[in-house]
Amino acid sequence: MPQTTIYVSPRSLGAPDQRPPAVVTVDLARLFAGNAALAGVSLTVEAGRAVALLGPNGAGKTTLLRLLATAIRSSFGTARIDGLDLDRDAALVRARVAYLSHDTGLYDDLTARENLDFAATMLGTPDRRVRVARALADMGLSDRADDRVRGFSAGMRKRVALGRILLGQASLVLLDEPTAALDDEGVGLVAQLMAAWRDVGVTVLVASHSTDRLEPHLDARVTLDRGLVSDVDGMGVISTPVGVPAERRVVVATR
Amino acid sequence: MKTRILGFVALVAVTVAVAVALFVVPADLNQGDAQRIMYVHVASAWLAYLSFGVTAVGSVLWLWKRDLRFDAVALSGAEIGVMFTAFAIWGGMMWGRPVWGVFWQWEDPRLTTTALLLALYVGYLLLRRLTDDPERRATRAAIVGIVAAIDIPIVHFSVEWWRGLHQGATIGSPDRVLNPAAPMAFVGTLLGMVAAFTLTWLYLMIRRYQLARAQGQREQEARLDRLASARTAEASR
Amino acid sequence: MSTLRREATLALAIARKDARAELRGRHAAVGALFFSAVVLLLFGFALGPDAARLAAAAPGLLWLALIFAGTLAVSRLHLLETDDGALDQLALYPVPRRAIYAGKALGGFAIMLVLGLVVLGAVGILFAVDVGGALLPLLATVVLGTIGIAAVGTFYAGLTVRLRAREVMLPLLMLPVLAPLLLAAVKATSAALGGDPFGELGAWLQLLAAFDVIMVAAGAATYGYLLED
Repeated sequence: MPQTTIYVSPRSLGAPDQRPPAVVTVDLARLFAGNAALAGVSLTVEAGRAVALLGPNGAGKTTLLRLLATAIRSSFGTARIDGLDLDRDAALVRARVAYLSHDTGLYDDLTARENLDFAATMLGTPDRRVRVARALADMGLSDRADDRVRGFSAGMRKRVALGRILLGQASLVLLDEPTAALDDEGVGLVAQLMAAWRDVGVTVLVASHSTDRLEPHLDARVTLDRGLVSDVDGMGVISTPVGVPAERRVVVATR
Repeated sequence: MKTRILGFVALVAVTVAVAVALFVVPADLNQGDAQRIMYVHVASAWLAYLSFGVTAVGSVLWLWKRDLRFDAVALSGAEIGVMFTAFAIWGGMMWGRPVWGVFWQWEDPRLTTTALLLALYVGYLLLRRLTDDPERRATRAAIVGIVAAIDIPIVHFSVEWWRGLHQGATIGSPDRVLNPAAPMAFVGTLLGMVAAFTLTWLYLMIRRYQLARAQGQREQEARLDRLASARTAEASR
Repeated sequence: MSTLRREATLALAIARKDARAELRGRHAAVGALFFSAVVLLLFGFALGPDAARLAAAAPGLLWLALIFAGTLAVSRLHLLETDDGALDQLALYPVPRRAIYAGKALGGFAIMLVLGLVVLGAVGILFAVDVGGALLPLLATVVLGTIGIAAVGTFYAGLTVRLRAREVMLPLLMLPVLAPLLLAAVKATSAALGGDPFGELGAWLQLLAAFDVIMVAAGAATYGYLLED
């Protein structure tokens, strides 16, 4: 298969040192009914970096990505993306962030092309038809483009979802287990994507169990454990250890 | 302390008002003693509407300011409101039986509106039970509360029209008590009852709010505890 | 492109997407259609066989059937968004929330309108009422009524799609809110069929229209909150 460049963005985002940090979180935490999925993460990620999130299941990788994607709200703490506050400027943040989750968010009864065409309309992609065709081609889906997604394997669906990211103009890409269910060729595509994003200056956070093929494209590795950062390795990421105990509030007497 | 005084005053006021309504004020010429229930029924209905107004305002303020205290206000309004609504309906039915001959009269706009009010806010309370996360719960409840509040005037309006287009202000109408031409004794008793009930309402709202806040604080403490224990576990490794 | 035009385009794209999925096998409309037929039949059993009584009850039965079937239809329309987390993805696009609401409500309205016309015809046949004689006012009532059901239904379906007891909560929350619509629609239908002896048809239609406007505005304003998690 010819190695053509993947069309990632019509513009370059500028030199990393002239941009605000892509991600700044301060004591970011998220509690669910039973547990602290994220117990307090303070990270700063330089613009244009590619960072891997490592850690066992339940460590908080998915929760962190979902928080940054504005898919869920935080319980405590703050976060800024490109300097924009996650809670207050959620709509603006959404325009700059692309998120690949465990679920692909595709419509079963629509074809791959129709799914991407819908996404392109929602994203406001210019030259929609051309861009959709290009995205399909870049993801190796051209021959299945007009088949309904219902019949697709998990790996194929992932490719469509990745194709959707290509249609946007994100400056921060969040990938949750992008290589899971992908065959060798698919993993190669993800590696190509990361190379293309680096060229343009897109910041990438990728949560993964196995990052072998992606290693050459990574700047740093952050390991999470039980909702906290346990290790940071590489360039472009700083983690501040969280103090103990967390902020406490006095129970106000009710009389 | 001040709340306790309020509660005591409210209790006294209600006792006095009820005594007046039952024994002091003369019975209605047409409806007889059954008419006495009206004082309580009308007062309850007024407070039911007030409560849901409070819920609506609390809901809007939560969505705007994201302070859980407003959610506690909304919740209190809904619960106390359901109480007064049920009471108002009961009063209406107790009055209806001797006067109309039936427990329920579809042509009475207030009764039917109040019944729908009850349905709307029971739904609100049930909805709250389905979410554990305090902020999600507050948001979902808030939008339901707001839409319900918007619906109430529409309901009232349409039922008024419904009744109006059917020939029919019968003699047995509860409106007689609110009629400006009604004797002073009736009006005075009614106002007194409303005042007494409002004091009771205020007392109940304050208590319910305090309870909601205490529960909220407890939830918050539990969450902070979980957070802290996760971090201590990590730090000590 | 002005914002309003852009929002309209987005809403239409969402409605079109729903229509496509619907035609390809979702059967929200078909299911609701058959359900309303069954409901009408049961009404016939419950209130018949006296033709006069059924004819008198026809306006009420028409709108009850539409509201029940409508609950089903809007719930299925939102259910399609649970396909692999599609609703979560939809919430992440940089699209104004009210445009999403408008798109889903539009799809709901399309289904409800079809439902309304079919049920109107069915009621005419089953309960021996002269629908053709008052066609214009009846159509106006159906259009205004189905807009309201779609507006309210879409809002509550979106709210309950992520909840635990959603099959129960949707009708429980939605139906009391629809009470004034039910009242006005039935009165208008009744008036239309009877030749409008008291001249009240206009008033009821106005009430329906006002309900529609208010509920669409409320839904559009608050849909964003129910999308956030």
